[in-house]
Parts: sequence; structure tokens; C-alpha cells
Amino acid sequence: MTSPTPRTPVTADEAAVLADLTALLARLLEDEYGLDDVEIGMATTFNRDLELESIDLVTLAGLLQERYGERVNFAEFLADMEFDEIIELTVGRLVEYVVTSLKVTEAS
Amino acid sequence: MAMVDTGAVRLHVQRIGPRAGRPATATVVLVHGLLTDSLASYYFTVAPAFAAAGLDVVMYDLRGHGRSERPAQGYTLDHNIDDLEALLDRLAVTGPVHLVGNSYGGTIAFGFAARHPERAASVSLVESEPATAAWAVKLGGILDRVVTELAHNEPDAIRWISAHRGHNTARLAKGAARLARDTTLGRDIPASRVLTDAEIAAVRCPVLALYGGDSDLAELAPRLESALPDCRTVVVPGHEHSVLVEASATVGGHVLGLVEEVERTAGRVAAEAAG
Repeated sequence: MTSPTPRTPVTADEAAVLADLTALLARLLEDEYGLDDVEIGMATTFNRDLELESIDLVTLAGLLQERYGERVNFAEFLADMEFDEIIELTVGRLVEYVVTSLKVTEAS
Repeated sequence: MAMVDTGAVRLHVQRIGPRAGRPATATVVLVHGLLTDSLASYYFTVAPAFAAAGLDVVMYDLRGHGRSERPAQGYTLDHNIDDLEALLDRLAVTGPVHLVGNSYGGTIAFGFAARHPERAASVSLVESEPATAAWAVKLGGILDRVVTELAHNEPDAIRWISAHRGHNTARLAKGAARLARDTTLGRDIPASRVLTDAEIAAVRCPVLALYGGDSDLAELAPRLESALPDCRTVVVPGHEHSVLVEASATVGGHVLGLVEEVERTAGRVAAEAAG
């Protein structure tokens, strides 16, 4: 019942990262809540749309690390935010952060 | 996600450390609060900064909370201290650790230090207090309200919370209602064995007690200072019980200051002993 982490090469562009995150979130929603038909796009919010609790975001941090290794640090990303910003966090904002992080490590 | 079987219960654990394989200078163990709380309150607040400062950071979900197993029974303070002890044994963390506890998590952390003085390098209490008879009565009152008003009247209660406190709080409250309804937690915690004044005063390691200035608990600060041999208190103005997540940079800075001070002192003592 666990869908595998995407095996395609990591690409630092928005469409590729959105596809990655959609797959990771679909896996989390199926594993934790048995949901398999949730639509996910750039405007989807983690809190209100996906009904994720903060402990689900810890799970997501682990999935992101599996996919991107040390290049993306989700905990540090959220640690810099105010509580209200985390509540309003969208998939799109995380996509942008991942793309930026990947580009920084590619450049260095 | 790492699950650790303590022998009594399966606990969800997250452990992060310094980057690039640098050796950690010390271990800090972070213990969260009751009902609506989980290790996420640390994972996304102070934990990244602690790891960046060179610490080995251990976080776990208490039994019944977060992603840990939710047994129907076994929710006294001593059960929680047993779990922490068994968890550190399973992780092979045997040396003294710096304990940090938020709210009820601080009561667990302090109880661990009272039981195992040799395993506690310091204790940081955030919006928290040692287990006393007065503490047990207060928790009993709070849990009584959770059970009667929330767990047994859930649809109405959740509607009210959703309207007045927002969607996110309402969802957290549903989890709290489930925990209160499905387990003996509400009965067990007020029935916990508490510490005597002498047992509290016997905690000789440095203790930091930090409170929100607008919290009811802030009045505990002077009492703890006089009850403990080595206690410093900090009151953060403009915050209530959620000071850990609302002012995490301030809280984390104070905890890190204590940890670094204790480690420096320990290092100096060791160097003098060697020289």
C-alpha cells in the first residue's frame, strides 16, 4: 500500500518538483489517512485543504530528506516562519523553496 | 520515521545532530506536553538551532500522542518517566543528558532528574513545574473538563472551538478528545505519585524555569528558585502558555545558554582533574 519514493532524477524546476511533492503527499495521505483521491496543486494548503497536522509535517520532512538528501531542510524552512505562516503554507511555497534550495546546491 | 520499542510501548522518535558528521558536544532530550502536543512543537522550532549549535537532539512522542502507540492504559507520570528511561536505554544514551520539557513534558523531565540524578546534566522547564500534590489537583481539574466538556460532548465542543479558536485548534481538540475518551489518561495523571519537598530539593543539577509573562504559571518562578539549590528563572513578557512555539528563538536561546554553560563548566572541571 506504500507507493515508492519517485525514482526519476531530481530536477530543479517547478513542474518536476511539484510532481515530486504531489507523489510524496499522496503517499503520506494514503499511509496515514487511507486517502487515495486527493487533488494537489500549487495553491493547495497543508492545513485547511489537506488537513495535515504538525506531526504529519514531521513525516513529510522525512520523505523530503529521502528524496533530496541534505540539499533541502524542511525543518529549518519552517523554523524561520511565524506560526500563522505555517498554518497558511501552500504546496506552491514549498515547491519554490525546494527549487531554490536545489539551485543553490547545484551552483555551489 | 523511527519507531523504538521500549518493551512496554512503541514510541516515535526523531533524532537530529550537527551537520556534516561533526561529533555532538552533548545530548539534549526534548519532551512535549499533554493532549494536543507532539514532538512537532520542537522539530519545527528550537531543534534545528540546537543541532546547528552542535548538539545531538532527541525528540519523541509521548505514549498516546503524535505517531507513538496509543495503549488504552498506563498514563501516570511514572509510566511516562519509565518510557523516557527505557527509550534512552534503547538509544544507548547512558551519559548525563540535558532535559527540556514543555508543560507536562517538563514535569516528566524533572521527575526523570529526581529519579536519576546521575543521568541529568540540566533541566529546562518551559511553562512547567515539578509534580506536587497541588499540581495533581490542578491537572485533575483540567482533565476533568476535557473529559466531560470535550470528549463526551464532542460535536458541540468542536463547533464552538472551530468558531472561536479556528480550524486548526478544532482539529487538535479532536485528537485530544479521542485520547481522553479511548484511554485512562484522564484518571491516571491526577492519580500519579508526586514528589515530596525533599525529593524536589534533591535535584541539584542546574534548572532553568521559563514562563510566559501573561501565564498563570509565572507566579511559580520565585517559589521554584527558593525550592531548588540551583535554579534560574526567566519570564518572557507578552506570552502565555504557548511561549515555546510563539517565542521559540528566545526560549531556545535561554536553553542553549544553560546547556553551553554546563558543558563549559564540566569541560573545565575535567581538564583540571586531568591536569
